[in-house]
Amino acid sequence: MFTQLRFELLKLVRSKGFYLSFAALAAFVLLMLWGFYSYAQQKTSGLATEQFKYTYESKSYFNGLTFTLYSLVFAFSLVIPIFVAMTAGGQIAGERRTGTLRMICIRPVSRVSIVVSKFLAVAIHTYLLLAFFIGLNLLVGLMFVGWGNLELYPGPLNLVDVPGQILRDEALWRFCYASFSGTWALLVVAAIAMLLSVIFDNPVTAVAATIAIYLMLYIVGRIEFFVNLRPFFFTTDMDFWRDVLKPEVPWHNLYHYAATCGAYIFGLLLTAVLVFERKDITT
Amino acid sequence: MWIKLLLAIVLVFFLVAAFVVEPAREHEPNQQGAAGGRAAIGSRLRLLTWNIGNGDLESESRAHADDLPAIAQVILDNDADAVALQELTGEDQLKLLLTDLKDRYRGFVSMRGNSDRVEAVLVKNQNNRPRRREDDVVFSNVPAGDRFAAAATFRLQKDMPVVMLVSAHADAFKAARRRTFVAEVTDWVRSQGQTNLSFIAGDLNFEVSTRTRNDLFTDDVKHDSESYAYLLKYFRDLGLDAGETSINNRRIDYILGPPTTAHLVRAEVLRGAAIGRMDHWPLLVEVSLSL
Repeated sequence: MFTQLRFELLKLVRSKGFYLSFAALAAFVLLMLWGFYSYAQQKTSGLATEQFKYTYESKSYFNGLTFTLYSLVFAFSLVIPIFVAMTAGGQIAGERRTGTLRMICIRPVSRVSIVVSKFLAVAIHTYLLLAFFIGLNLLVGLMFVGWGNLELYPGPLNLVDVPGQILRDEALWRFCYASFSGTWALLVVAAIAMLLSVIFDNPVTAVAATIAIYLMLYIVGRIEFFVNLRPFFFTTDMDFWRDVLKPEVPWHNLYHYAATCGAYIFGLLLTAVLVFERKDITT
Repeated sequence: MWIKLLLAIVLVFFLVAAFVVEPAREHEPNQQGAAGGRAAIGSRLRLLTWNIGNGDLESESRAHADDLPAIAQVILDNDADAVALQELTGEDQLKLLLTDLKDRYRGFVSMRGNSDRVEAVLVKNQNNRPRRREDDVVFSNVPAGDRFAAAATFRLQKDMPVVMLVSAHADAFKAARRRTFVAEVTDWVRSQGQTNLSFIAGDLNFEVSTRTRNDLFTDDVKHDSESYAYLLKYFRDLGLDAGETSINNRRIDYILGPPTTAHLVRAEVLRGAAIGRMDHWPLLVEVSLSL
């Protein structure tokens, strides 16, 4: 099992997609930095302090931690899941496409350990992606925007109902927690992609289907027409990762939704294992 | 085999954990009744705000004169000390309403500004009798951009400090206008300086709570965030836990009061009170005043 995991990690590290995901996230950080800098200038014609008179008036509001928070929330919703889906969706279907799956399966390793080791490799990649992204944002934020406390206001990012604040050192810990809670939430997407990778022969189909399911539920969950369906979407449960970035962490909520995500992850993974065990590999 | 078994055990563990650990019910509407009654008469203040306009945009979206008797009945039933009303057509409707209130209240409508509707503020007469000279109510127009809000300054009892209630209605369509309006009303109230028992009530037309699912950063959200945060610099959102006040699950009607001198006793949205095609419910707040 561990040997298999080591092989999978080696394969992952040697693939171009692995580095592409980090490069794309780095590019996203630069895009966010440009947006962050230009926002006040563009929207206020240089009168930023007048526009941000009440809540955003303080120059310290737009600091490295705020920058990291915005960057992370936007990327987590729309960018990082795509790379997770790409990695996970290509695991089994990609082997099938390249003709190596049959060879792997005739080795004296169980099919269960093949699926599980591939999933563990995806999980490690997901954590590395998130940790890299948070670390890079903090670094860029520190260098180009500056340090300060994390000020939170109701409205943008939808994190709090009343204004709140997380002190700088505590906020750094919260970002550390977010790397774990975010990874756990993203593993739901990875598990879906893994299952579809087992079902479909083409990795593109598996990845596209995963992204389609995720985006569809993410968008539908934000339309008021479907307010009654919202609690049944896994994208709603995935939102728990942000709870660690609230001034008072709602631990009960966090445990509940983390457990729900866990049920999704292991339910889908078990299904993928059962399907893969019974699959006739003819390529 | 053991890996499959392990996966199944972990799956069951998480399923059980998800059922056992119930999420906290955020935003559960506060359904406190009138428990405790009004034992210390005079130290309690009961305020009500209600946008009595209609959601029917094709006909008259302002208050309907036909609805006024029922509106008066809701006010009387809840025995509000002061009432903030929005979207009246003008002074005529106020007079009709005061008549329906059996002259137990005094009232005032704001100047019209560039709007086709006005805001009103009502204050209950002491012991339901017409007010004497010494407990007179002072009504004022509150200029805020091109609109006006209505303010009343009054005493619950002769030996008690002055209370101020402002009835405000912010723009429904432009967040930037709402921000300016809210800032000017807030600044006006603070500039009066004659009381530390000031309340702003009304339809502020923004919702920035986590009830909404919008987590993107837009100019509108930012403006509304600024409006709300500015209000919370000086006031406390007394209806925070009372739930939605308007159709489509929106909490856009507020009663904001002093953070230290008014202690919340009860906050309730009277959801059965809407009449006809009204799209708002009245928000009733009762506070205990520490003097």
